[in-house]
Amino acid sequence: MADQTLGDRLDAVIDALIARGDASGSLRDQQLAPLARVAADLRHYPNRDFTARLRAQLERRTNMTTAVGNPDEAGLHDGNPAEAGLHLREGFTTVTPYVWVPDRGFADFLVRVFDAVETRVADNPGHGIHREMRIGSSMMMIGESGEPNRPSRPIALHVFVDDADATFAKAIAAGGTSIGDPADRPYGERSGFIRDPYGNSWYIATPLGPESLAHHLRSVTPYLLSRDVRGYIEFLVRAFGAVEEVVVGDGSDIPYARARIGNAAVEFGSADPMPGSYFLYVADPDAVYEQAVAAGAKALAPPADVPSGLRIGFVEDLLGNQWYIARPA
Amino acid sequence: MDVTADDERLLIEAAQADPARFLELYDRYVDRVYSYVSRRTGGRAVAEDITSAVFEQVLTHLPRFEWRGVPFTAWLFRIAANALADHWKREGRTSPEPPPDVPDEREYQNLERRVSLFQLVDRLPETQRQVIQMRFVQERSIREVAAALGRSEGAVKQLQLRALENLRKGIGSHG
Repeated sequence: MADQTLGDRLDAVIDALIARGDASGSLRDQQLAPLARVAADLRHYPNRDFTARLRAQLERRTNMTTAVGNPDEAGLHDGNPAEAGLHLREGFTTVTPYVWVPDRGFADFLVRVFDAVETRVADNPGHGIHREMRIGSSMMMIGESGEPNRPSRPIALHVFVDDADATFAKAIAAGGTSIGDPADRPYGERSGFIRDPYGNSWYIATPLGPESLAHHLRSVTPYLLSRDVRGYIEFLVRAFGAVEEVVVGDGSDIPYARARIGNAAVEFGSADPMPGSYFLYVADPDAVYEQAVAAGAKALAPPADVPSGLRIGFVEDLLGNQWYIARPA
Repeated sequence: MDVTADDERLLIEAAQADPARFLELYDRYVDRVYSYVSRRTGGRAVAEDITSAVFEQVLTHLPRFEWRGVPFTAWLFRIAANALADHWKREGRTSPEPPPDVPDEREYQNLERRVSLFQLVDRLPETQRQVIQMRFVQERSIREVAAALGRSEGAVKQLQLRALENLRKGIGSHG
């Protein structure tokens, strides 16, 4: 009987702990108090389904490290992906936006607005012009088709500059359209949003204070839009060994998320997709290509050696983004 | 099982050399990190998100960890404290407690006690462990647990009592 009574009293304490996190009512009960202390600690007992799931996620990432390269956050600024067998040209990370436009007007826009510097240009007969531009610490690739009627593949980009207001004004003067005037944002930046003449969205930001997202990003970061951000990140985890870093919000309302693919950050927001193209540098394109297809990506062309020295394969993801999976020359 | 500083160092150096060995570090520290985070957050989902972020960062930065008189645990909990601070900032609020810091000696002893307790839970007889899981992790009522296990509420209360008495005794003998 005494045990039964103690069992009831213990149960009431556990109910109070679960509801209010409070077991103070038990402290004067000498029989109950030691059990209540154990119960209070058990509120922090990890869900074993969670610890097993996280372990499996980390295991996948350790397995991917040799295939995609070491996702070294510090490497955004001064790391050396070559340590993981991935030899990138200066300024490049594992993910580089590849913007398809009909002509060189887009490159001119980047120079005029962002003081971009052209670092490489190559004429590929039959395929248009390949151009590489540096904006701050980041690289962008541009494909100029030379075909005015060929549709562009606009994307969204988050760019950090010294003076968001001044750059925003330059973007408008260069033909951009405002989709959000500069304002101080609660996430630690002053930013204004524009659409450039080629349909790309630019979130032009200047960091405000030590909490700014800028501390996790280079000067230009792809901003991938999806109506199912969490599902898309899960796909990127399976396809490319992406590592989820931040997800703000729940369900279909995820205003912001960030993940890392190799040593490159990518950001996400809930909106209609803007399917674009991205260059993905990896150490083993064949393995990553197979993994991406196994994860549900559409196979466009398997990896092959091309004259420029790259080995490159192409897939299209669930949102229509095309990924050029390449081992550098 | 206690781990000596030398064992810990060997384990970390192994994980730095071979990412596959990272999982051994994870197994050793996941309960400590979760418990540290859980005490400072309101719900399990948040504590799990932050714990995930901590281990992702540890895996990312481990190759750069160097032994310069800083214990690995201090480095680990600094990452956890920063992850908590980031979470609060994203939520647009300040910490419900003073700013997070790495555990002091007293909190570390409490963490160790809790980790021992969690290991004891994992070794409880299956039905008792299920009761603890459903009551404390899933936060189900006695009635719901009884329905899930096909037992009376009185029987489940007895199982719950027995489980906690076993754990209390186990912790007593452990310490």
